[in-house]
Amino acid sequence: MNSPDNKKSILVLKDISLSFKGVKAITDISFNVYEGEICSVIGPNGAGKSSMLNVINGVYIPQEGTITFDGKEFTKMKPHSAAVMGIGRTFQNIALFSGMSVLDNIMSGRNLMMKANFWEHALNIGRAEKEELEHRQAVEEIIEFLGLQSIRKTPVASLAYGLQKRVELGRALAAKPKMLLLDEPMAGMTMEEKLDMSCFIQEINRNYGTTIVLIEHDMGVVMDISDHVVVLDYGKKIGDGAPDEVMNNQDVIDAYLGVSH
Amino acid sequence: MFYREAGKLVGSFGKDRRMLPLLEDRWLAVLFVAFMYFVVTALASDYMFTAILIPIMVLGVATLGLNIAVGYTGQLSLGTAGFMCFGAFSAFNLILRIDWMTIPLAFFLSGMIAGGVGIIFGLPSLRIKGFYLIVSTLAAQFFAEWVFNAYPWFLNYTSSGVVSLPMHHYRVFPGQENTPFNAAFWHSSQGRYLVTLTVTILLVLACKNLVRSNTGRNWMAVRDMDIAAKVIGIPVAKTKLMAFFISTFYCGVAGAMYCYCYIGNLDFMIFNLRRSFLVMFMVIVGGLGSILGSFLGAIFVYAWPIVITRGSDFIFGGGAIDTAFIENNSKIVVGTIIIVLLIREPGGFAALWASSKQKLRVWPFAQ
Repeated sequence: MNSPDNKKSILVLKDISLSFKGVKAITDISFNVYEGEICSVIGPNGAGKSSMLNVINGVYIPQEGTITFDGKEFTKMKPHSAAVMGIGRTFQNIALFSGMSVLDNIMSGRNLMMKANFWEHALNIGRAEKEELEHRQAVEEIIEFLGLQSIRKTPVASLAYGLQKRVELGRALAAKPKMLLLDEPMAGMTMEEKLDMSCFIQEINRNYGTTIVLIEHDMGVVMDISDHVVVLDYGKKIGDGAPDEVMNNQDVIDAYLGVSH
Repeated sequence: MFYREAGKLVGSFGKDRRMLPLLEDRWLAVLFVAFMYFVVTALASDYMFTAILIPIMVLGVATLGLNIAVGYTGQLSLGTAGFMCFGAFSAFNLILRIDWMTIPLAFFLSGMIAGGVGIIFGLPSLRIKGFYLIVSTLAAQFFAEWVFNAYPWFLNYTSSGVVSLPMHHYRVFPGQENTPFNAAFWHSSQGRYLVTLTVTILLVLACKNLVRSNTGRNWMAVRDMDIAAKVIGIPVAKTKLMAFFISTFYCGVAGAMYCYCYIGNLDFMIFNLRRSFLVMFMVIVGGLGSILGSFLGAIFVYAWPIVITRGSDFIFGGGAIDTAFIENNSKIVVGTIIIVLLIREPGGFAALWASSKQKLRVWPFAQ
């Protein structure tokens, strides 16, 4: 691989193939994500980017290939174990809990750390109250970081799109993930919102050391914030490396600009 | 509004997390409970207790139970009356067959037994959703009706199919059943009202605690988007089964109270499919995912026909018009009101209450 030797891979994908009833979404893709980096997955529509993220956290199960996260190898990842191991995730079309407030949405991101059982919850005794207050403290820090203080009690369904995306990031962040998978975190946003979002992503990466894998279409953003870019097209990997390296790759240029075959 | 929310700030997360963050609300709640315990107990008539207050609270608890499954967790269920039936028969058999069994413990255990049954009938929810799940919970309904009919052991071999509950069943402490106080307490409608009220308040508090905790958030997460819930680590299957357990726990306790505090005898025929539908209507009219709504729904669906019948008796003079005619008309009126309500406010009474509160907040400055 074209990686500096001093970097440690947090995620290794090896020969991943995924198909839906004969339609090949991903063919033999292998790449590494290194600890603490921002890795962008780019490619034209239908290239298999979202499928790739779904494979990483176990929403889809690939027919072939292995996923190694944090030194553990899997052929079948499950969403729950992915969450337990510290893989956080946001979705392309927002997947918030629409009937709940911003606060409850972000609090639900910490569910894996809450140990009280439902008897304790029902009677509000034992660990229930203590845990709730502890985690509230941590969630308030995230709310402050993302600037959501004024809307913490608002039902998420009534929020603007850009804010919903931010809440979803907050929910993923609340679990203190080792790696965050962001599926088009800036799609459909205004320039200003995009700037905010890229600042948040970079700060998360820098302050918490969270590895970030993101899918993005805005090349300006991708080239600015990424340490590492992976390019997919028609379910195949056509480029992998540092941003400027990928930019000058002939295959990538062809895929993006089109070429007469 | 009589009081304002603006400017009422809290200084800690504990205070922010209270059931009723506003001081005025807390006072209102205390006054309401005191009113129910002291004023109503002292002043209400027998008719009021046995025909209105007790059944509304009992059905309210069943509605709350169904609301946990349907409104909070998004798992449709039509087995409510079946689960109530399991609760009622559990309480009867526990008290009948275990010497030291007391009413409070029997209510709790009958909830637990019904909850266990609920888990079994909730298992299909792991694979199927929505209307298909209704069909499988319907099985609980028919199973209850069948099993208590087919095995007379459950009814202590009573040939008529109806058991009136003997006095020795009603004990709060072991060996207490023969005291004059106990007999007087349970024979009076006040006594049964107080028991129903206490159980209802405890169950409402527990439910309120659950929905503001991680358990409640998990329920709502599964309801709103189960894929996202799975991805953030919520155990979806466990959450659904837990919701079924707690939901049917409430239904089971409601079933036990239905027999012991309301009708005073045990009969599986009353826990029929019609009653399941009735509780479902109460959930829908009251408002999905609302504790207050559960009781408003129970009040409306149960009491409104009574109000209309009594009202028209009053207006037209009792006996001047055929009672059957009035009864049928009251059904039409209630049905129409429900349809209009649900068109105007699909969220039911709970949403109506929330939106009127919102209007009062800004009144008279904005519309």
